[in-house]
Amino acid sequence: VASWPPVADRSLIGKSIKRLDGPAKTQGSAKYAYDIARPGLLYGRLLGSPHPHARIKAIDLSAAEKLPGVRAVLALIDPAAGEAAKVRYQGEEVAAVAAVTEETAEDAIRLIKVDYEVLPHLATIEQAMRPEAPLVFPKGNVSQVSERVDGNVEDGLTKAAHVVEGLYSTQVQTHTSLETHGGVCEWDGEMLTAWVSTQAVHGARDGIAKALGVPQTNVRVIADYMGGGFGSKLGFDRQVVVAARLAKTAGAAVKMMLSRKEEHLVTGNRPSAFAKVKAAVDTAGKFVAFDAETWGTGGAGQGAGFAVPYPVYVFPNRRQRHRDVYINAGPQRAFRAPGHPQACFVTETVIDELADRMRIDPLELRMRNLQPPDATGVDAPNRQWRKYFPMGAEKIGWSRRHPTGDAAAGALKRGLGCAANIWAGSGNPQTRASCEILPDGSVTMRIGTQDIGTGTRTLVTMITAETMGLPIEAVHAAIGDTNHPFAPGSGGSITVGSVSPTVRVAAEAARNALFAKVAPTLGVEPTALAARGGRISVASDASKSLSWRDACKLLGTEPVTVQSQWEKGLSDVGTSGVQFADVEVDIETGITRVKKIVCVQDAGMIVDRLTAESQCIGGIIMGLGFALYEHRILDRNTAQMVNPNMEFYLLPGMSDIPEIDVTLVDQPDRGVVGLGEPPTISTAAAVANAVANAIGVRVRTLPLTPQAILSALEQERAGGTL
Amino acid sequence: VKAFAYVKPAGEKQIVAALAVPGGRALPLAGGMDLLGLMKDYVAQPDRLVSVKALDASISKGAGGTLRIGAAVTLADFAAHADLRRLYPALTDAAAEVGTPQIRNAGTVGGNLNQRPRCWYFRNEEFNCLKKGGSRCFAVDGENQYHAIFGDGPCHIVHPSSLAVPAIALDARFRLLGPTGEREIAAAEYYQMPDRNLFGETVLGAGEILTHMILPAPGGTRAATYEVRFKQSHDWPLAMASVALSMQGQNVRAARVVLGAVAPIPWRSPAAEAALAGKRLSEQVAMEAADAAVAAAKPMSGNAYKVQIARTAVKRAILKASGIKVV
Repeated sequence: VASWPPVADRSLIGKSIKRLDGPAKTQGSAKYAYDIARPGLLYGRLLGSPHPHARIKAIDLSAAEKLPGVRAVLALIDPAAGEAAKVRYQGEEVAAVAAVTEETAEDAIRLIKVDYEVLPHLATIEQAMRPEAPLVFPKGNVSQVSERVDGNVEDGLTKAAHVVEGLYSTQVQTHTSLETHGGVCEWDGEMLTAWVSTQAVHGARDGIAKALGVPQTNVRVIADYMGGGFGSKLGFDRQVVVAARLAKTAGAAVKMMLSRKEEHLVTGNRPSAFAKVKAAVDTAGKFVAFDAETWGTGGAGQGAGFAVPYPVYVFPNRRQRHRDVYINAGPQRAFRAPGHPQACFVTETVIDELADRMRIDPLELRMRNLQPPDATGVDAPNRQWRKYFPMGAEKIGWSRRHPTGDAAAGALKRGLGCAANIWAGSGNPQTRASCEILPDGSVTMRIGTQDIGTGTRTLVTMITAETMGLPIEAVHAAIGDTNHPFAPGSGGSITVGSVSPTVRVAAEAARNALFAKVAPTLGVEPTALAARGGRISVASDASKSLSWRDACKLLGTEPVTVQSQWEKGLSDVGTSGVQFADVEVDIETGITRVKKIVCVQDAGMIVDRLTAESQCIGGIIMGLGFALYEHRILDRNTAQMVNPNMEFYLLPGMSDIPEIDVTLVDQPDRGVVGLGEPPTISTAAAVANAVANAIGVRVRTLPLTPQAILSALEQERAGGTL
Repeated sequence: VKAFAYVKPAGEKQIVAALAVPGGRALPLAGGMDLLGLMKDYVAQPDRLVSVKALDASISKGAGGTLRIGAAVTLADFAAHADLRRLYPALTDAAAEVGTPQIRNAGTVGGNLNQRPRCWYFRNEEFNCLKKGGSRCFAVDGENQYHAIFGDGPCHIVHPSSLAVPAIALDARFRLLGPTGEREIAAAEYYQMPDRNLFGETVLGAGEILTHMILPAPGGTRAATYEVRFKQSHDWPLAMASVALSMQGQNVRAARVVLGAVAPIPWRSPAAEAALAGKRLSEQVAMEAADAAVAAAKPMSGNAYKVQIARTAVKRAILKASGIKVV
């Protein structure tokens, strides 16, 4: 049975190890799909529909085909295809071009003449919910209600001492990966190599093969490096399939990377969320009811759900009735902790409002209503909020928190807020890895996972080196290639839980095979050997040993090669964490500056403390974007996006990032647990609560723009929101 | 990007001549910070680009204590210039907040003063708006949170240049050179409202370029600029204001108050100027002038919040110029 080495014996695991590919990334030698250059490479561009809803009646490619430098032109929609001849959002792909330069391709797509029958469109939920609204899909613009009920809300409300009612909402956020979606496709006869910016090399391979109608074995997908996906690059992508088709037609490799505008329009988003909530607390400060009518839109796609109340807290009587609404906008995709930041914002905001009604410390109200410990009074290791809230409070200086509304004179108001998070994460038992020890002592770990920026390459290397008793430089991790054994897509924070155990098992198996070769020379049974400090030695008698290199020479000409599969016992499921925010709001401009974020987070056994902390910092920065800045804005009359860029789709820049104080709680006995998603969940809720604490007015909608804050202050002057 | 020809004349006269060559549309290219974006977005599709890198890139003393700033001076050099910083902080503060370090290193004074509006309907290819020859301003009943609160349209852009606002407050002049010779014009006369010039924003005639900004001797003027930006990094001001106060002892003799990002042109406020004239500076006086500055604002459906931000910008610019604590 595989196990992790005892804590005292770990030389790498749990330490802060610099990302191994950091220098390659910063020096530019790391090759992303965007950087791949092939002989005779052509550049592909897509023609997207400018109309958010239209039927394609005809496509005339002739003028584009005649433009010098154009090598291939494809129509992507068949005007005779009935419902499939419709586009349902701006940017939906209509045709494609490959040309010798990117500029020529851009010019060429503008020469394609498309006869659009423009159909009535829906830019907003309000428009879509009107009875006379045109339909996005034949089945209607609003999904069936899904209902979740626990206890009895009406009974709960009879025990209420204080009730809060309000409409809470969050915006549509786009993933805005720095590397846009796309890839480079090159055919060698019937064999296709695709360098893809993807979160799932194996998933991309399967999707591309199916779309092209070729055997999966004919397709090799490589993702050596990729510039962010956040869930949007989990599926295979149409643009890569189009690139493959263009490459086939043109007889040359084609690079098809989306523009920033296309990236905003067609590669997914976090759906909006609306929640009409009625929540109540009794005289003892125990939550008694949470009743929510919720809806949201993922554009022309399903899946705008989010579960309230957020399950960190106990609401014995709760009901949620949810509907997805469809509009003519780019369909949603999984986005880092799908549903959680929205649900966290709604729930944590309601809790602060309840605390204000009771006139008690909102932290105290949270502590009274956390999920209960088990029968022996112990909180599960992935349910540690009772411990983390006081830790975070200490770090942020919660004792200096004033009641809601900073009474200090002047325009600048300070405030504190907090929120909690919960996430699952797990491991995929089908994950496999192959490990090779060569006679010269070199070690390669091959696994078909991908490093989406989280540090997976570093972790694979660390765990292999730790297991072999070698320095990290002595191990080569080969990842990001469908020629390597299967590993799942990097989504749902499952990568570390899938990859780390598998690598450990494979490395142990390879090491044990080497022990078997070496044992006769050292005159002991293989099980008596240990690998440590670059030597293989008899565990009970360190004077009997061989250097790693000399030990590997005993292999002769036959390397050790093993393939192993994930085993249980090395990973666990579930994380818990809290975040606190310290903000300053200028009430004469409505501008919020976040001064500090405190994060207390567990994720089981920490493999690399440095990349884990980095994961928290990145998640928090993304959460700040959700809190303050990011907003996909559709023109309400045309359903076209007005800010498909990084100029007016605001993202936090270096100067907007506050001090971030991360406390990672290591749980070395639990095994690994994923950390990709949890750190982004609570930031917006904590910031929103801090803003309300500063200005004394509750803003129930994200993002917290100057417009939203000044409007709320104005409303307060006109009659009050609290 | 539509294919284009590129020429690089050796001096200002040759630049003007190159712009006047018949056949196709020619545009001047300085740092390219604005024009290249317009071309990539297919909003501008020139046939020829004429480099204006050969324009004066120096800052020199002129007659009567004036300063002449060449249009090709980069924003970074401008913001770092010791004399300018000492004598005209209202201008250098504005220059130092433009865009990003990269933009300030490549972007020029001339380019900043002549950049096109950032209106998202103007900049996005699929909106054939009034300014691009279409029949409507999409901002009127659309997404107008960043649009004008002054000016009555018919196009509701806000003026984008951060340098133009203090330039007008300081009563700078611009030297222009065109096919019929050179002329000098007050900065305040340079920009034109959409009802007079819908397809452009300035008085520049065909083939005419801006070659210099000329600053009057600073005298006893106290001036300051205050920008309100949502983000600290790379963002446009939601509103800004520059004020220049000519003092007589402790009292304001005369004031010039100019607002930016609130109207299609830098928006001078005679009402705020009148509210300051003859007054001894105080927070109360600054607030009264700020209220006066926005009293006539006519916000659109979604930008009433900008009135408050513009008010704050004016108040704080006055306080900053007065040496009173701003916040």
